[in-house]
Amino acid sequence: MGLDFVGQGAGETDGNIITTTIDKVVNWGRKNSLWPMPFGTACCAIEMMATLASKFDLSRFGSEAIRFSPRQSDLLIVSGRISIKMMPVLKRIYDQMPDPKWVISMGACASCGGVFDTYTLIQGVDQFIPVDVYIPGCPPRPEDLIDAVLQVQQKIASGAAPKGVEVVYE
Amino acid sequence: MQGGLERATGEKMILSFGPQHPATHGTLRIVLELDGESVLKAIPHAGYLHTGFEKLGEHLDYNQYIVVTDRMNYLSPLSNNFGYVLAVEQLLGVEVTKRCQYIRILMAELSRLADHLLWLGTAALDLGAFSVFLYSFREREKLYSIFEKTTGARLTTSYTRVGGVLRDLYDGCEEDVRQFVTNFPKALKETHTLLTKNRIWMDRTKGVGAISADDAIGYGLTGPCLRATGIAHDIRKAEPYSSYEEVTFDVPVGTNGDAYDRYLVRMEEMIQSCGIVTQVLDNMPDGPVNLEDNKVTMPNKPDAYGHIEGLIHHFKIVMDGHGVQPPMGEHYCATESPNGELGFYIVSDGSGTAYRIRIRPPSFFHFQALPHMLEGGMVSDTVAVLGSLNVIAGELDR
Amino acid sequence: MNEEKDVEEQPKPLVLEKLEAHHSDALLAQDEARGSVVLVVRKDQAYAVLEYLKTDPELAYTYLVDVTAVDNSQMESELMQFDYARFMVVYHLYSYQGQGRVRVKVPVHENDLRITSVTGLWQGANWLERETYDMFGIDFEGHPDLRRILMPDDFEGHPLRKDYPLRGRGERESFNFDKQNV
Repeated sequence: MGLDFVGQGAGETDGNIITTTIDKVVNWGRKNSLWPMPFGTACCAIEMMATLASKFDLSRFGSEAIRFSPRQSDLLIVSGRISIKMMPVLKRIYDQMPDPKWVISMGACASCGGVFDTYTLIQGVDQFIPVDVYIPGCPPRPEDLIDAVLQVQQKIASGAAPKGVEVVYE
Repeated sequence: MQGGLERATGEKMILSFGPQHPATHGTLRIVLELDGESVLKAIPHAGYLHTGFEKLGEHLDYNQYIVVTDRMNYLSPLSNNFGYVLAVEQLLGVEVTKRCQYIRILMAELSRLADHLLWLGTAALDLGAFSVFLYSFREREKLYSIFEKTTGARLTTSYTRVGGVLRDLYDGCEEDVRQFVTNFPKALKETHTLLTKNRIWMDRTKGVGAISADDAIGYGLTGPCLRATGIAHDIRKAEPYSSYEEVTFDVPVGTNGDAYDRYLVRMEEMIQSCGIVTQVLDNMPDGPVNLEDNKVTMPNKPDAYGHIEGLIHHFKIVMDGHGVQPPMGEHYCATESPNGELGFYIVSDGSGTAYRIRIRPPSFFHFQALPHMLEGGMVSDTVAVLGSLNVIAGELDR
Repeated sequence: MNEEKDVEEQPKPLVLEKLEAHHSDALLAQDEARGSVVLVVRKDQAYAVLEYLKTDPELAYTYLVDVTAVDNSQMESELMQFDYARFMVVYHLYSYQGQGRVRVKVPVHENDLRITSVTGLWQGANWLERETYDMFGIDFEGHPDLRRILMPDDFEGHPLRKDYPLRGRGERESFNFDKQNV
């Protein structure tokens, strides 16, 4: 079942009780049912489509429920070039997503501007929104995107807070 | 069209459609003024993916810019690579070898297939036919593997060079391509059975987004969108380039210029492209791939490593301020990309960098004509019309 | 421009012949380069020439391929040839009746950036002129909706001018997210 963190119960109940913490169960659920919000603008979006389609099939990892509405999603995949005209839109979409939310910056352009060091292109979306996982490549292969989703899953399972959440230590 | 303007009640609604919407495939935005379900006015907005390609062209040398052309119409990068180097070569006044011309045709036609396939998949997906999307991507993945073996990349190919191509076809390429074009028409038939006579598909696309031939010319429509209106204009036939005059193919045309005709024209173009590919493979000439002109192309690696002349020529090509230097002048070169007329207007000041590069993208004109096709229709037709035009934001905004 | 040689080798294109007959005073220069006729036309008569090219039944350049501009401020030879006009507005036309391609260039001085819009002749000119305005600041008179198209509405400057830096003037680092109308 994949619940490798649960412990077995006491002897008199014949192992029918498993004990865990509520956080771990919730994280386990979250990690295996990520709903991505694809913010696909350019070439990387085509590779993202390829990842969702028959050959690579992202649904094997529980993330095929693509939602174009930010209010139903918890994973933002920024794939493609972001111009100065587009950045306010991206920011608004990120703000509209409910917490907790994770962000994948797919490809060189979203991560650092890539080959386009020009007047109109944002040199990395992490200047304006927090990014959890970066994928290198121009464009990255579908396997790379799958790997990034798995990394987000690992992060969720480990209980670490998303990059966008400010953790207050007392 | 039911609804219509005469039923206007005065209650108007402004709907901002995009830039983030599943049917805009990226970054298109249309502001619609609605009366109930009918569209009174539509205003498309462009520029959400403006990247500064033209400005960048004034700072990169001629071979470096090939990388940038990949990212214009990212459904068919090989066609962009092709169109761009053709413009530079015509400006230089050189003609590549016969084998190179054939390889370029081969790759351009395969990328036309890839482009139309992705268009088919997403246009059908927008209207709710999910299985067509999966079927198209199944075929597209086969093309991807051919591209990857040939060029080293799935999507951003950068395959052509001024004066040649990156490398010759790989061993076994002919078998792979032949196998693909033999099986492809059968695979396309599956889609035909799913869509062409499908009642829902016909209702959603027939008579939707129609444009007349005169208006299509006035708006500067090209490619399948122009041919769907009944004008049999194809630059490959009208102004043949790169040995296109040596292959035979038909130019499919529509009659009504609506979304359904655009669909049929593209479907038939895929079959014609398969025919071109077969002819190219049958008649593929032997011989060198790259021009043997040391001022234009790189010398072979053994030459560069083994002989002092080769080494000097190699350095002269890659050094800043040397390299490919077209004479002073200007040139406009148009090619038939999958979407229509893709033109490059290059002004050279005689240096290794272009003085000005202007890209004439087909999608810019198609998106501009969108209000003409939408106004008076229903709001749900917006998705069907936009899908049928195949507007690619990368080349729309550059 | 070796006109005598051209005449000997091949017949003069119809478009040149007809323009010389009807609009000879509008032509500043003419050329035939790489399969395309190039005309440089005086600004005040540009509209009349373009209208003639479109409406003449024999020429019928009904398809406006492209409208763009070139900033010649770093191109000394072009500047000298056309009275130090900084910009060159370039129209590409194509005739579906077999007359081929023609390129019409119109010099525009920096101190008077106005030029007559051709939106009345071709619907497709609308966005092309908007883009040329956005990128170069050419002011198309009579255009129904001359706004920026690629850059945001509150953007300042014209990026494709030669004096605009490739990496911009800091617009991509600083944002006012509230001000932008999304």
